[in-house]
Amino acid sequence: MIQVRDYLLEIITAVAIVVFIALFLAVSSGGSHEFSGSDDVGSQKIAELSGKPVESYLPLIPQYEPPSGEIESTLFALQAAFGGVLLGLVFGYWLGQRKRAKVL
Amino acid sequence: MHIMEGFLPPEWCLVWWAVALPFIIMGVLELRALLRKDREYLPLLGVCGAFIFILSALKLPSVTGSCSHPTGTGLSTMCFGVFITTVIGGIVLLFQALVLAHGGLSVLGANIVSMAIGGPIAGYAVYRLLKNTSVNIFITVFLVTAVADLVTYIITSFELAVAYPAQVGGIMTSFTTFFAIFAVTQVPLAIVEGCVFALVFKYIVQLKPEILEKLGVFSRDQIEKARMAGEPVPPAEVRS
Repeated sequence: MIQVRDYLLEIITAVAIVVFIALFLAVSSGGSHEFSGSDDVGSQKIAELSGKPVESYLPLIPQYEPPSGEIESTLFALQAAFGGVLLGLVFGYWLGQRKRAKVL
Repeated sequence: MHIMEGFLPPEWCLVWWAVALPFIIMGVLELRALLRKDREYLPLLGVCGAFIFILSALKLPSVTGSCSHPTGTGLSTMCFGVFITTVIGGIVLLFQALVLAHGGLSVLGANIVSMAIGGPIAGYAVYRLLKNTSVNIFITVFLVTAVADLVTYIITSFELAVAYPAQVGGIMTSFTTFFAIFAVTQVPLAIVEGCVFALVFKYIVQLKPEILEKLGVFSRDQIEKARMAGEPVPPAEVRS
């Protein structure tokens, strides 16, 4: 017998995500929003406050920069995929342990 | 919440590195001691790390019309404390600095202080406050996660404000400006992150309650109460 009580957290989380998406749709449909990263917005603010253009801020320590947005998104996807694989592995391992413990 | 490479004056880079270093050293020592004691903690450590990896790769749009990412440090803070979270968060930030040009080596100290030290400390404070009360453990998880996320961005705003005080109004005005960019964007994200982590915690409670009990994250009574509410399985039968 499925009870609402048992799945309360799932329901709350689903509602929160739906509201979040609805908010995004409402915001993006009205006015011009670029949805740029807040890191970049912050950097622009620094330039504004100090009166120096963003380009004048050079890395103190030279660093590798992904040559394009595509490559950057690949690297971010890899980062997330690594986390996802690890997560699935551990939860699968725990599930297996649990199942085994029940049989014995 | 990354401060970009080059956007922090060298003296402030050093200050934040100096703050971060003791936490990193403590974290490495604690991590070694923990794993020497019991390898069974390794999977949970993996889950905590995996979440920081996944969530800090997701840049989500928010109501202010810019994008930002959740931090995912709450779970690790509750299970393993602030210092170990510093190490795990530091690894993620190092990866992003080296490969993605998000943040950089000189500003890594500042970014570690905000995401892997400041946020977790605030989350830990909430956790300690609620741990031994009758508050439902999932509500505790929600609050710890959301607070750790939000405070991360407040600290980033603070770090930028002290480095770049406004000509009129000084640090406070600057802080308000950066706060509006970072923290306001973060409020809806922090709420969703809190819900997701409460849900994940429910699954950990169902699959591996003994590890939470062993780490002393919550007491046996609290965990069993949460299990009963989630799944009508008598605890004695599934305990291994």
